[in-house]
Amino acid sequence: MKSWKSRSLVASAASAMLLLGACSGGDGASGSGSNGDQVELTFWNIWTEASPQNEASKAAVERFMEENPDIKIVQENIAHDQFKVKVKTQAAGRQLPDLVQVWPGAELTPLVDGELIQPIDDILDTWDGVISDTMFADYNVDGAQYAVPANVTPTSLVYYNKDMLAEAGYEEIPATYDEFKQLIEDLKAQGDIPITLGNKGQWLLQSSYISTIGDRMTGSDFLQDVLAGEAEFTDERFITAVEVIQEMAEMEAFNNDFNTLDNIQHRELFVAKEAAMMIDGAWSLGPIVEAIEDEGNLGIGVFPEIEGGDGDPEAVSAVTGTGIAINSELEGKELEAAQKFLQEFYSEDYYTELMEGDILVAADIETPDSASDALKRVSEIISKKTAPVYDATVPVDLTDAINSGLQEVSIGTLTPEEFAENLQRIVDNSL
Amino acid sequence: MDTVSKTKWPIIVGMAPALLIYLVFAIVPILISFYYSTMSWNGFSDMEFIGLANFREALGDPIFWQSLKNNLYVVAASVFGQVPIALFFALLLNRKLKGGKIFRTIGFMPVVISTVIISLVWGMMYNSRNGLFNQLLGAVGLESWAQNWLGDPKWAMISVCITIIWQFIGLYLIIFLAGLQNIPDELYEAAEIDGASGFKKTLNITLPMMKETIIVAVILCISGSLRTFDLIYVMTSGGPGHSTEVLAMYMFDQTFSSTRFGYGSTLSIFIFIFSLGLVYLATLILRRKSAAD
Amino acid sequence: MVQSTISERPSVGEKQAKKRKFTKKTIIYLLLTLFALVNAYPIFWMFLNSFKDNADFSSNPFGLPVQWMFENYVTAWETARLDVYFLNSLIVSVGAVVITVATGALASYFLARFRFKMSKMVYGFFVFGLLIPIHATLVPLFILERQLGLLNTHIGLILPYIAFNLPLTIFILTSFMRAFPKDIEESAIMDGCGVFRIFWSIILPMTKPAIATVVILNFINNWNEFSFALVLINDEALKTLPLGLTNFSGQFTTNYGAQMAGLTMAIVPILIIYMLLEKHIVKGMTAGAVKG
Repeated sequence: MKSWKSRSLVASAASAMLLLGACSGGDGASGSGSNGDQVELTFWNIWTEASPQNEASKAAVERFMEENPDIKIVQENIAHDQFKVKVKTQAAGRQLPDLVQVWPGAELTPLVDGELIQPIDDILDTWDGVISDTMFADYNVDGAQYAVPANVTPTSLVYYNKDMLAEAGYEEIPATYDEFKQLIEDLKAQGDIPITLGNKGQWLLQSSYISTIGDRMTGSDFLQDVLAGEAEFTDERFITAVEVIQEMAEMEAFNNDFNTLDNIQHRELFVAKEAAMMIDGAWSLGPIVEAIEDEGNLGIGVFPEIEGGDGDPEAVSAVTGTGIAINSELEGKELEAAQKFLQEFYSEDYYTELMEGDILVAADIETPDSASDALKRVSEIISKKTAPVYDATVPVDLTDAINSGLQEVSIGTLTPEEFAENLQRIVDNSL
Repeated sequence: MDTVSKTKWPIIVGMAPALLIYLVFAIVPILISFYYSTMSWNGFSDMEFIGLANFREALGDPIFWQSLKNNLYVVAASVFGQVPIALFFALLLNRKLKGGKIFRTIGFMPVVISTVIISLVWGMMYNSRNGLFNQLLGAVGLESWAQNWLGDPKWAMISVCITIIWQFIGLYLIIFLAGLQNIPDELYEAAEIDGASGFKKTLNITLPMMKETIIVAVILCISGSLRTFDLIYVMTSGGPGHSTEVLAMYMFDQTFSSTRFGYGSTLSIFIFIFSLGLVYLATLILRRKSAAD
Repeated sequence: MVQSTISERPSVGEKQAKKRKFTKKTIIYLLLTLFALVNAYPIFWMFLNSFKDNADFSSNPFGLPVQWMFENYVTAWETARLDVYFLNSLIVSVGAVVITVATGALASYFLARFRFKMSKMVYGFFVFGLLIPIHATLVPLFILERQLGLLNTHIGLILPYIAFNLPLTIFILTSFMRAFPKDIEESAIMDGCGVFRIFWSIILPMTKPAIATVVILNFINNWNEFSFALVLINDEALKTLPLGLTNFSGQFTTNYGAQMAGLTMAIVPILIIYMLLEKHIVKGMTAGAVKG
């Protein structure tokens, strides 16, 4: 801890030296600037509601300001969906704030291409030995680093109710898809909803289902290959993966209102013990642990192996998050302050607090004793192998097509083959 | 009033403030947006002029046509649902009634209430597992009529339309109530001396006198329906599939989710053109019908 | 007054008529009660659920709260930052309504009561505004306001609100003013009244029901407006209520109870405005006539 901090001090001193004499000014967007000795930085994020992650993040900002009275961080908290609209509008008018929360991959690339944010490579050594290159990778575009990840989120865990599975004669999630289908039938036979699903928002089947199920079939390089024109969505293995989703929908593995519930409502079916399983991301971990009475009854597994698949049967799709990028217009004293903020924000204290809130972190630090067993279990799962999440890898218009297409497949208005052809057409058009 | 020369300056002075604000803050932005429609632009990088490519793409885009079709359902539901029901209740409420004010206030409630609430309540009533509608059908022995109202593409649009009708009756209710105040009492008095019954009075006096107001309501219905967004966005997000996708929503998603600003602008031009055509058609029909009276 | 004396005049079939009147009244009340129930339920539901916690809300969405969570209102007040946003919403909404209705009524008066060369064109031009999908204007409006230096100001929000509500306002008011008999202004002109005087003392009072209607509609539109407020305002101190009301739902969690509490508080001003103005909409009939 101590050495870490002192290293960040050295780093910021070094960057200060470098920038000394560089002309100051360069008034950032949104009316930020330096007042006398105090530097003011605007910072947009999505920390609106009182979740453990948001509380910890806000506290970390407060802590930073207490320790650095010469820097003032002016936050604007905007709810997630609205945040995206606002950032896109302001980016179009080239008026981003000094610091802005960013999402990896597909959402980050356009910001980089438009030269709206700047790399943070100068300060990366702050996290030497704490955050691995793998964890940094999501926020890396063409070899330059644009943000530091706070948390790592597996998007595709199979949560299950141990008692309900035991009643059907199972101790855990079966290892193969064929056995898994049998489990679904057995659960149906005893009158339970096998898997709760709330796909009204359309992204769940993509983020929590195809990202991992697709990986089981195609392996982890498939999407990159498709985007590079070296593979196609019409690949038999991809189609088989989509057929798995289609098959689960057809065999009524889900609650029949799965297209009218959202991802918050579907969790309630699992908590209320109406559904035996739920395939969802780690974001549900905290809320579930908080809501259920008996944590010992909560099992967490991964989607089973699919016969004929090329992927690692233990891989789980995962993505890192809560990165903060620096506006490309920032320079001089303000840039220095922004860098200092990142260095001190992503601290050991912050990561520890996140883990206490059942959030898996991107940093390699010791799990506190107070962390829940469920968190330890998830952390064990993702230590094996992670796979890319679709919406963090492919461009946004393709993500939209995958989202709505999977929903159509699930209600039988689109076949997996047609779906694959539609996607490939979009890829071909952009190549 | 033909004293044009004398009133020229008052007219200019009187029109100027409204015209100026409207021009700068509504027309200029929409013209800029129309300009974007000839561009390929993701909002982050530089724009690129692509001529009419966006328009060609829209014409060949099945989701665009699907949204238009759904949108026409909304227009039909609003014009033939909201307007007659609102007129009916306006006539009922346009009399001295004990508690009239309470009924008028409650009738307006759905217009006031947040779409989030409307979507939650109606979503629960439509729910296929334990929703009110399916339970009612079950209670009267019609289980076989039970449907997955919002989850089945065959039913989703109909269900959404019913909620939309319900949502905006109150809006037309107050427009009609205000319109009814414009009918001079003398007309009714004369009719009553002639011994006309309440129903006859409605048919022969009220409805013809309300013609202009009805046209206003129909035009507001059409323009409002073609821009409908909020409720469907919260209630179904356009799904399942694209079965409840409407134009304004598709435009919004293309613009802010797929970040295709140029294509989104193109879609908004189409919305504008369709509304214009429909409004023109409706005025033509309504005016001719009334001319025949 | 005339018809009430007429209906009170005794006649041969009086008893029968009375009976028929009674059944008619019963049917009317039955219909209205049904209408009221269907319309009032969601608001009642919202109010009830504003006292539940999330577990209670999801397991028991239609019943009474198991435990009355009055603190939801405190949470809502803080999460939605009502202390600041409420006042901003009031300033923006009222400011925009006043200017819209004032300028709109004046413009409608000239459009409805005068024939001049461009009148049809100008009217059509305003009605076009009814057809503009507002989301298409977000980015251009943002860039425009940046250039005009209006971003992050109340007036920067009020002006687009006026611009986008003028079409509706002018459309409704013009159609009302057109319906007045043609000879209304003539005597006033004989007396030498100016055009503005006629507007103020003759046309405006006659348009009261329509004015009340557009004030209500304008107020609701402005009070609930979300998209412009989202992109045109960054300053926490200037934000409006609808922005705060989205703070309850994160990407993966929603605090339903507090959300309902916030939404309940948010509609209070609209209800007050409606109740205050409703009597002007139906003023004619309170004079005693039984119509229809």
